[in-house]
Amino acid sequence: MSLMRIGAFLFSTLRLSTPLIFAALSAAICEKAGLFNMAAESMMLWGALIGVMVNGWTGSVWVGFLGACAAGVIVGLLIALATVKGKADLMLAQIAINLASTGGTIFMLYVVTGDKSTSAMTIQSGTLPKIMVPFKKVPIIGPMLNKQNILTYGAILAAIILMIFIKRSRTGVHIRAVGENPNAAESVGISVSKTYFLTWAISGLLGGIGGAFMSMAYTSAFTKNMVAGRGYIGLCASSMVAGNPIGAMLCAIVFGVADAVANQLQLTNAPVDLVMMIPYVVTIVVLIIISIIKMSAHARKIKSKAQEA
Amino acid sequence: METHKEALKMENITKIYPNGFVANKGITFSVAEGEIHALVGENGAGKTTLMKVLFGMEQPQEGAIYVGGQQVKITSPLDAIAKGVGMVHQHFMLVPSMTVAQNVLLGIEPKKHGLVDNAACIKKTQELSDKYQFGLDATAAVADLSVGLMQKVEILKALAKGAKVLILDEPTAVLTPQETRELFEQLKLLKKNGHSIIFISHKLEEVMELCDNVTILRHGYCNGSYPISDLNEAKLSRLMVGRDVVLKIEKPDPKPGKAILEVKSLEKLSDTGKVVLDHVSFTIREGEVLGIAGVEGNGQSFLSDCISGMQKYDGGDILLNGKSIKGRKIADIRQSGMSNIPEDRMTVGCVPSMSILDNIMADRFERRENMNGIFMDKQKALKITDDLIKEFEISCDDRSEAIRLLSGGNIQKVVVAREFTSGANFVLANQPTRGVDVGTAEMIRKYLVRQVREQNIASLLISADLNEVLEVSDRLLVMRQGRIVAAFPKANMVSEDELGEYMLGIKTMTPEEMEGLL
Amino acid sequence: MNKTKRIENTFDIVRILIAIAVAYLIALIILALISDDPLNVIGLFIGGPFSSKKHIGDIFTRMIPLIFTGVCMCFVYAINKFNLAGEGAVNLGGCLAACVAIALKETGVPGWICIILCIAVGALAGMLANAIPAVADQAFHADVCVISLMLNYILLYFTTFILKNVIKDQGAAVTASYKLGNKVKLPKLIPGTTIHIGLIIAIACVIFVAILFYKMPFGYKMRAVGINPTFAKYIGIPVTSTIILAQVIGGAFAGMGGAVQILGMFPRYKWESLTNYGFDGLMIAVLARKNPILVPVSAFLIAYIRNGADLVATKTQIPPEFVSIIQGIIIVLVAAEMFLSGWKKKLIFNAARKDLKEKEAKA
Repeated sequence: MSLMRIGAFLFSTLRLSTPLIFAALSAAICEKAGLFNMAAESMMLWGALIGVMVNGWTGSVWVGFLGACAAGVIVGLLIALATVKGKADLMLAQIAINLASTGGTIFMLYVVTGDKSTSAMTIQSGTLPKIMVPFKKVPIIGPMLNKQNILTYGAILAAIILMIFIKRSRTGVHIRAVGENPNAAESVGISVSKTYFLTWAISGLLGGIGGAFMSMAYTSAFTKNMVAGRGYIGLCASSMVAGNPIGAMLCAIVFGVADAVANQLQLTNAPVDLVMMIPYVVTIVVLIIISIIKMSAHARKIKSKAQEA
Repeated sequence: METHKEALKMENITKIYPNGFVANKGITFSVAEGEIHALVGENGAGKTTLMKVLFGMEQPQEGAIYVGGQQVKITSPLDAIAKGVGMVHQHFMLVPSMTVAQNVLLGIEPKKHGLVDNAACIKKTQELSDKYQFGLDATAAVADLSVGLMQKVEILKALAKGAKVLILDEPTAVLTPQETRELFEQLKLLKKNGHSIIFISHKLEEVMELCDNVTILRHGYCNGSYPISDLNEAKLSRLMVGRDVVLKIEKPDPKPGKAILEVKSLEKLSDTGKVVLDHVSFTIREGEVLGIAGVEGNGQSFLSDCISGMQKYDGGDILLNGKSIKGRKIADIRQSGMSNIPEDRMTVGCVPSMSILDNIMADRFERRENMNGIFMDKQKALKITDDLIKEFEISCDDRSEAIRLLSGGNIQKVVVAREFTSGANFVLANQPTRGVDVGTAEMIRKYLVRQVREQNIASLLISADLNEVLEVSDRLLVMRQGRIVAAFPKANMVSEDELGEYMLGIKTMTPEEMEGLL
Repeated sequence: MNKTKRIENTFDIVRILIAIAVAYLIALIILALISDDPLNVIGLFIGGPFSSKKHIGDIFTRMIPLIFTGVCMCFVYAINKFNLAGEGAVNLGGCLAACVAIALKETGVPGWICIILCIAVGALAGMLANAIPAVADQAFHADVCVISLMLNYILLYFTTFILKNVIKDQGAAVTASYKLGNKVKLPKLIPGTTIHIGLIIAIACVIFVAILFYKMPFGYKMRAVGINPTFAKYIGIPVTSTIILAQVIGGAFAGMGGAVQILGMFPRYKWESLTNYGFDGLMIAVLARKNPILVPVSAFLIAYIRNGADLVATKTQIPPEFVSIIQGIIIVLVAAEMFLSGWKKKLIFNAARKDLKEKEAKA
């Protein structure tokens, strides 16, 4: 396989991984706070839709992007409201919001554009810029990184920023404390409920940006069902590494590889549907393998503690 | 002896819980600067409540608190910390993945350029640790620390927030002897620096060694404050242990038959590697009640869980009706003849939202005699439930109402009714009358004795209630630190003073003395 | 104390009704705002499903698959493990039932036996679908919900693959399987409507499951494990096997739902997307408070709302998806314990005070 094709494949991988990375980061910050985020799907859907709508309405792709961010944050805050203040069961509330969002975005699309499946015909929406890198001639790395959408770099940047935030900032430390031992946090004056609200807001922001990527990076429209389970894949990526942002990014890229492979296979004669299964199968298999590894590590730890005594 | 300034005084504290239980009645004691003050008393004496009041977790009906001579009102734990009172809880409030420094300064982290200044955290924590010779490495991850070191982190946490008065609740319960030594050194250093320490403990030898003064609580009252130098362990034990009311139960003498339960050299390590059961052996015969007395937390819960099958054990064996039940499923164990009245009726003993009928039938709904073909026989279930409600005088409106609507005593009656009629010939009763009104408690105890005698079954009674364990048991064992330390052939002939001495570790019987009594 | 229980019970039902009313009202407001002809549209939404014999019949027809998935989710909800593979189980059940029907089409096997076989295969498919997340969870502690959601996509693509490669009728105008044949078509129940005997099968399942839940040992074990697994362990109920079995049995019904829907409503198998019956089923189970007997009632409600939305969609251009907003609101309001909890506490408090006064008066 020529270097060109490897480079192109890696480009494709990185591109396809971007929304997965944002979904994974969205789940990761929640994981650190001890929350199970199943609603990245909703955050991305609304981010994608509102981004396009605001773009079309204001004519500016960046204002649209802000709209997508705001939409994600609102979804996050709604979840926080229902579960922290309303004390709704976390799973049920998120399943409800996912249900409402899959249909609700289609509905809102119709209300605003009159079209039930895509905004392409009706909303003039732009795309976010791509970035040329100076080292584009460098084999493999060049073609992989050249002309990626700005949000792809944003994803990698976001992972790094999130990592620093969680490890080094005061708020990040408090979020982790709440996640590991809410009693300990409460006992030193950290408000657990305020922390949850903040976490959901950040999570929503990341999800919203992921959605913006879907509808404003390589396409310039919102299409129904465009998120197609990426939110859940992001959740898997994050739970495998216990919410470590860099780890979640890497896992998301692994799933992005599966996605890219599926894309490549679609160009061949392989049956489309079996190929589409690949990312999801890979996710389940990896999730199970990681769970098994965690289980045996835990068992070994208990054994060694008993032997020490 | 120089008189130091008063650091803390609790005056005339009275605390009555909403259900009417009087936890503290008119308790007064004071602690000076640079004093280590012991707070002792049996389970249920009121120590925990008193400390909850001091730490702002409960509000007293009457009484006042003075810190440094000034009267204060302590409204919450944060308020207590602000006023210089720090608590080191039994269950650590630490974040395992963070370092010692991060835990100590959690909530008050110093900042630099918007981010946490890790270097400053480490420096500050290390200085604090070195000042009191805690021997901690501020950069170590808490998850890797031993229990003893984790406790030091908790103490450091309180000190970092400016605590002058430290409350330590049973601090040595989780420590090895070596770690206990180290802790005492630390505490003496803190004392030299002018801190005051309230030391809650059951271990009399530690109290005698470490503390300057002691306040004894008994059944919610203060039974005096004394300088340690005026006491010895025996006197202290007598002040602590005793019954206000002596309950006498009429019962015929036991005629023990064949062995029903044989516990052979049971060993168990906790998750943290501590020995919680240390070669425990005893036998219970049909027609007798074997009681186990002891301060809570000395292995009784582990013993009960191992016998019932709820937890695994690391060594030894248990035989029920002659057959080993090691590693067997609970359903098998129950079928082999065991029933179990658990310590915690709400989380283990019942399903709170299910009906009384469902809770009673829980162990017998699948038995052939209660089935109607492939269905559960509703009529049979109704009759069984109604009969038991009558026999045990369970006060309820309707057998199909949720069990959690009943009073604690009635819920316990349901559990007891089920366990006594399950057809077992061995009943494991763990704190069977805890939190239950006097009338119900009496009824349960009389029923237990009657069943054991008339049906010729065997019973193991684990109880922190002295009345109960002295009057209901035939033979009596005392458990301490996972070991059997005393055995008495006739429970109702044991004096409280003697019992207290064994419970609190002042005396221990040798295997020879216990020969034939286990 | 008894009064408390009665207040709680009635209150819970009232709460659900209020939640439904609130959500419904919001939907009406949305409709009024976006349509050019609000009164007509609202009338269509509220009254449309009842406007003719056929329309009323359509509600019952729509209920059929929802009853099956509602029953499936009752198991899942009762055992407290959010295994949502019932959604994909519907597709798998329908697809495999179609395969069986096609395979037996030309043979001499009588129709009613074919129907039984198809439904049985559907049930097995559903059991398999639910078993995968259930076992992964108990054996490896991998999250049940996440694996089940991934599995739904896998099942979707798997069945689409089968549709397009194994049973595809090349001669048909659209992507569809071969004709399933007349002998497996479920006969209509009431002339003038689309209701087929699948409804009878569905109701029979509800009755069976209700008996299982409340009159048979397994149902008891399942409910106990779902509420208090520690108690279940203590009393000797096998926790792990009960958890897995409950999900697997639930899955059977979802799979059956798919099979019955295909046999009853379609001459060919055509599904290329998820049907949403599974998620609807969860909502039905939540509204029915895990009680299988109430499943037909909630299913009726959901079917009514969805049919109303469909009617609105045909007459206007408004997409029926707005119903999902209603569903989301209802589930969140019902699940939020704090919703109206202040009112409930007041009611209980007032009743207790009244009780006390009466007792004092008597004394």
